[in-house]
Amino acid sequence: MRRPSYERVYAACLRLLPDTFRERFGGEMIDFVARRLHEARRRGVFPALVERARLAVDLVTTISREWGAEWTQTDTDMPPRDNMDIFLQDLRFGVRGLLRRPGFSIVAAVTIALGIGANTAIFSVVNAVLIRPLPYHDPDRLVLIWGTQGKTNQQGVVYADYQDWRSRTHSFSELGAFRGQSVTMTGGESPERLIGDFVSASFLRVIDLKLSQGRAFTDAETEVATKGPVAVVSYEAWQNRFGGDRAMLGKPITLNGTTFTVIGITAPHTEVPLGLPDVMVPIGYYPNAHGLDRGVRGIAVAARLKPGVSYSAAQRELSTVMSQLEQEYPATNASTGAEIISLREYLVGGVRESLLIILAAVSVVLLIACANVANLQLARGAARARELSVRAALGAGRRRLAQQLLTESVLLSLVGGALGIALALVLRKTLATLIAPQLPVNEPDIRLDVPVLIFALGISMVTGLLFGLAPAWKASRTDITEMLRSRIGGGLRHGITRSTLVVVQLALSLVLLATAGLLTRSLQALQRVNPGFDGDNLLTAQFRLPVTKYNTPEKIWEMFERTTTELRSIPGVEAAALVRASPLSQNGESYPVVLEGQQPVKVGDAPMIQINSVTPGYFATMRIPVLAGRDIAATDRADAPHVIVVNKSFAERTWPGQSALGKRIQFGSEGFWTIVGVAGDTKHYILNENQLLQGYVAHAQRPQVFTSLVVRTKGNPTDFARAVREAVWRVDRDQPIWRFKSMEQDLSGVVQSKKTMMWLTGLFALVALLVAVVGVYGVLSYTVAQRTQEVGIRIALGADAGRVRRMVIGDGLRLVGVAVVVGLALSLGAGRLLRHQLFGIPATDTLTFVAVTAVLGAVALIACYVPARRASRVDPLVALRMD
Amino acid sequence: MTQRDASTQLPLTPAVLHILLALSGGERHGYAIAGEVDETTSGSIRMGPGTLYGSIQRMLGSGLIEEVSPKRAKDDDERRRYYRLTTFGRRVLELEVQRLDRVVRVARRKHVLGDAGAL
Repeated sequence: MRRPSYERVYAACLRLLPDTFRERFGGEMIDFVARRLHEARRRGVFPALVERARLAVDLVTTISREWGAEWTQTDTDMPPRDNMDIFLQDLRFGVRGLLRRPGFSIVAAVTIALGIGANTAIFSVVNAVLIRPLPYHDPDRLVLIWGTQGKTNQQGVVYADYQDWRSRTHSFSELGAFRGQSVTMTGGESPERLIGDFVSASFLRVIDLKLSQGRAFTDAETEVATKGPVAVVSYEAWQNRFGGDRAMLGKPITLNGTTFTVIGITAPHTEVPLGLPDVMVPIGYYPNAHGLDRGVRGIAVAARLKPGVSYSAAQRELSTVMSQLEQEYPATNASTGAEIISLREYLVGGVRESLLIILAAVSVVLLIACANVANLQLARGAARARELSVRAALGAGRRRLAQQLLTESVLLSLVGGALGIALALVLRKTLATLIAPQLPVNEPDIRLDVPVLIFALGISMVTGLLFGLAPAWKASRTDITEMLRSRIGGGLRHGITRSTLVVVQLALSLVLLATAGLLTRSLQALQRVNPGFDGDNLLTAQFRLPVTKYNTPEKIWEMFERTTTELRSIPGVEAAALVRASPLSQNGESYPVVLEGQQPVKVGDAPMIQINSVTPGYFATMRIPVLAGRDIAATDRADAPHVIVVNKSFAERTWPGQSALGKRIQFGSEGFWTIVGVAGDTKHYILNENQLLQGYVAHAQRPQVFTSLVVRTKGNPTDFARAVREAVWRVDRDQPIWRFKSMEQDLSGVVQSKKTMMWLTGLFALVALLVAVVGVYGVLSYTVAQRTQEVGIRIALGADAGRVRRMVIGDGLRLVGVAVVVGLALSLGAGRLLRHQLFGIPATDTLTFVAVTAVLGAVALIACYVPARRASRVDPLVALRMD
Repeated sequence: MTQRDASTQLPLTPAVLHILLALSGGERHGYAIAGEVDETTSGSIRMGPGTLYGSIQRMLGSGLIEEVSPKRAKDDDERRRYYRLTTFGRRVLELEVQRLDRVVRVARRKHVLGDAGAL
């Protein structure tokens, strides 16, 4: 026997009925349905399906009708007609009505499709980034913990602090340490750079890492004291780098000169916070010298909150532990703290606002489309006044007529919605490719899945109700006798509603135009920012020397010096230098700065200076001006006095009106450095950052294994990548080099996300303006058509064409005027919401507001002119003969 | 109930009319009413449970029908209830049928069925 699941679902749905009705009839209805279906099934599969559909429609309409009766306390003595019958009749009328006016139906459906398509596409992005759960077990309990120092937050964590958190806190079920860093794999044909992650065993428990083969690390294997040379390889790396080798487990791989044994392979598509490593190895092997010492912010920490523990409770406990540590280790822990941030907030916090702004902009487009279709409907409603009044005279109630019109609207919007979903499907790939690189999401994750389709269906229904309500309301209020008497029913009142809708459209378009305008101006300001160096024909790349091989400062420096020489010998290279952190590469390190002779200040209160190590010739290569003193020179060797070149901002802010040359400063734990030069300011992380205080020291006096190279080329810089790689390999055949990029690419990458946002809002504004202008044109044409007789009389009485034109244009401009006032007020509000997205201009930027008002006015004027011209050409004889 | 009251019930919706017609032959339970309506209209009015019980509720409210204490057959479901016409309901049915009769006579006179058949 078949499982009577339909009956069970039906019974469950009865709960949606008002209590009184369900208690009285629920049992009988279930019995009824069971018998009906039993009969239908005997007749065959298809009749049974039809019966199910009929029963479902019957139930849905019953639910809405009974609640309607419940709320209005009316209708109890007006028995219903067969719901199915009414619904089907409305549907038939609707389809017939839409087919009878194909022009209207196509325009309306396309307008709605544009709105819904754009909304669905944008929502698919919002869903992927902000709504869909992160791909971890119980992701809401996952947090990151960052160190703070004074007022500076989101700093790395000191490994020793992390160990104290593990032993002293109770808010977390587990805490794990990790540090992503590229590793060099040797032993193959050429050295390879893998993305590595140095992790604790507990980190894998925090993220609940799933393996497809082998095992995860034990606690002993990742501890510094008892570390074991074991590695976990990602499924993707196993497939791509190791050819899916079936005997991968137990294989030795050489990373940074140490041989590790592969003990596990992750499950496919495994996500790891802050990057997707190719290989994970114990944190005990973290290669940076002193990287795990107390006072060195070397690692990141992820943790899982215990069930029932709030973020704030965990934060309070952590702060308490940090103040204990501050007392126990005043030398290293003074004014340090820790902050908890949920993993989701960390990943999407920075993009949430821009995404919501884009979503808001696209919903405004849909609203405008709704207003437009409502206007089209009203125009039709006026034309259909006679049809409706005849039906009313034949006994159709007002509510019936309204219901009929509403059914038509919802039908129309569903058709528009279906087209819109098709549009969104077509747009998906383009949008996802455009927008995914700027968001914490992968391109394939932006897709039209069930939640997105439900959203599309939902907004389609709401849209239909929105643009159907005004006409339906009109129909339900219109006086039949008046409708029958006048040629065009309720003309005046329709006129007011329609004008209001047009004002709404124009005002909303102005808001979108202003938004796009502000973002454009802000982008222009960003592009005008002088980065402080010349980005043309500049190639950058990075490499990291293995510490096992380059284990003394001398070896490192020698390698760097030879590399520089080799780079400069490449034909077509004008200049080359090494710099630890090249601008816009997102690398960089800052330290609190102490001036010689200054009273010691608390660590957190000292200004921060960004320190970079460079080889001689860096400023010349980058074309950063040396404003005073001298450049870093070849004579600044390890054994020479320590010297530093500071930037203009540091010199002027620290010693206003004095020369900085000869002054001595201290940063980190290394002695004093003498200022020998002042260089121009440069932007380091992003173009719109507040100017950093910067200092440059000689690579020779502070050698570290990681460095970038900058090469000034004649001609396209990326053409030199191969030659640069080979130059480095002439020094060390085993050294991988990566991230070959022209500085141009980095510079444009910085403004790319702003550009995407500007293009999207600009596009929406354009669509909105078009739709709104069609609206203005429609209303004026309609008015002109209605006033043909009046205009005819005026012309017959001697009014000239110009005057008639002015009269109609005047009507139009009055609407535009009201819209501009409303729109500007709304735009000022929108500007306030946008203020975090703006750069270099105020949210009330006058030029933007004047310009967008002018654009709107000009376009609206054209829309007014066409009907005005038509009016002025009215032939009085024809006009007067009408009727 | 007065005759004046009965006329305010007119015109009846098809569902109510057919429920009254079905009950004019004696008391019935809900499913039987629907079955009879289905049969007598050759399937052109096929009421769903919502329509049926929604109508019954309103008809109970306006006194057209009433519930009777059941004399159940053995296989009948516990949940099933029986309804019958009230005197008022019978009066309303009569008035409606008379009204329809007049409409049909007018239509015949005008040879409506001889035309497009669109009444």
